[in-house]
Amino acid sequence: MRTVRHSWRLAGLGIVLLSLGAVGTASAQQPAALDSATLAAIAPIVAQARSARLPLDPLYARAREGQLRKVPVPTIEAAVRALAERMQTANEALAPNPSEQELRAAADAIKVGIPVETLRAMRKAGKDGSLAVPLGVLTQLVARGVPVEKASMQIVDLLQRGAVPRNFIALEESVRQDVLAGRRPDESLDLRLKGIIPNLPQQATADGLTATSGPKRPR
Amino acid sequence: MREERDEMLDRIVEELKTLPAVPPDATARVLARVDAARRGEGPSAYASQDDDDVIFFPTSTEEMRASPAVGQSVHTPASKGESRTAGRFRRRFVVSLPAAIGYAVAATLAGFLIRGALPRQTTTDTITAASPSGTNDTLGARATLTRVAVSRRDLQEAPVTVQFVLDARRAKSVAVVGDFNSWDGSKTPLQRDSATGVWSALVDVHPGRHVYAFLVDGSIWTLDPNAPRTKDADYGTDQSVMIVGVP
Repeated sequence: MRTVRHSWRLAGLGIVLLSLGAVGTASAQQPAALDSATLAAIAPIVAQARSARLPLDPLYARAREGQLRKVPVPTIEAAVRALAERMQTANEALAPNPSEQELRAAADAIKVGIPVETLRAMRKAGKDGSLAVPLGVLTQLVARGVPVEKASMQIVDLLQRGAVPRNFIALEESVRQDVLAGRRPDESLDLRLKGIIPNLPQQATADGLTATSGPKRPR
Repeated sequence: MREERDEMLDRIVEELKTLPAVPPDATARVLARVDAARRGEGPSAYASQDDDDVIFFPTSTEEMRASPAVGQSVHTPASKGESRTAGRFRRRFVVSLPAAIGYAVAATLAGFLIRGALPRQTTTDTITAASPSGTNDTLGARATLTRVAVSRRDLQEAPVTVQFVLDARRAKSVAVVGDFNSWDGSKTPLQRDSATGVWSALVDVHPGRHVYAFLVDGSIWTLDPNAPRTKDADYGTDQSVMIVGVP
């Protein structure tokens, strides 16, 4: 009898611990104060994202932004679904193990029209470094008006040459200043690259070519 | 060697002669009893006095004779020990339903915890920040220094402190909302400088491109006048943009 009582105690303890763990997981993944209608609308999208092992915080954040802006629930649902699809695409392109920051950045990049091939090329060129900043700068260059193909090619080339986040930050800031001064964004990009590239490590590219052979189109 | 072995056998035979005689049908009765116990038709050969106590076995030849059900032929001290071990082995590995539920729940919980504790990605190439090993007694301080392995990506994604500033002298409250704080208006209130009337806040933000806006007096959306803007096609709204990183 003592063994049976002990077993029931063990079962009870396990259930209590599981409940606590589930509550902790839920509170970490789900921001508070999403109304029930929005929660219900995005629940299937969240469930699908969870099964695909995508981070859920960006989806909840997107829903919360819509709710804060008093956007209709169907619009919120569509925006969250579109984000989940972009994150899924980014997750495959940046395989094998993209970080949450990279997935967020890649999803934004896809939204402005960056092709999946560019994401793959960036992952290959960036090796083990984070792509969050390069992707963010690429997105912003395109948002400023630099053609997608030109911006993609230059960012991949910088990664192949061993550029680090501070190089991309410097490039973006320079282009921003130039645009504010009235220069065209694509002209500014060409100009500022001339100031950055000579200071890079000039690593050999993944193709075995030297980086000095000029930018190559992402495949 | 040959002589020693013979002496030993002789001694063993002498010892065995002192044991009580075994009735011819004793072995058959013991086997029948065990078989019945296994089928649940009678008291178990491993029956114990108490549910949680050790198993009861006769411990002397007198007890063996007084306990014909068990049989006199099997309980030498060595066989008694083996039987006790076998009985305990059985009892330890019989898991009841509640215990099985408990183990399953505990294993599931452990899985949750491990999954939550481990980073989503692992990188094999790491940067090792090695501080000087050993100790330094120069200044009277004695510190043990350790090696810390951090992935390059983790270092590049470490949060950076960003200052948000908004000049809104007539505002009663200002908060910044963005993708870095899940668009939660209560998370990041700005503090008003009493001398200048300018509102500001320091926020830890992961490197990358972020969109944000200010919420003035809880409901008035205001863009950062010092930051570029972008249009959000999904919601049809304007947002301020910043690229965060260490310059």
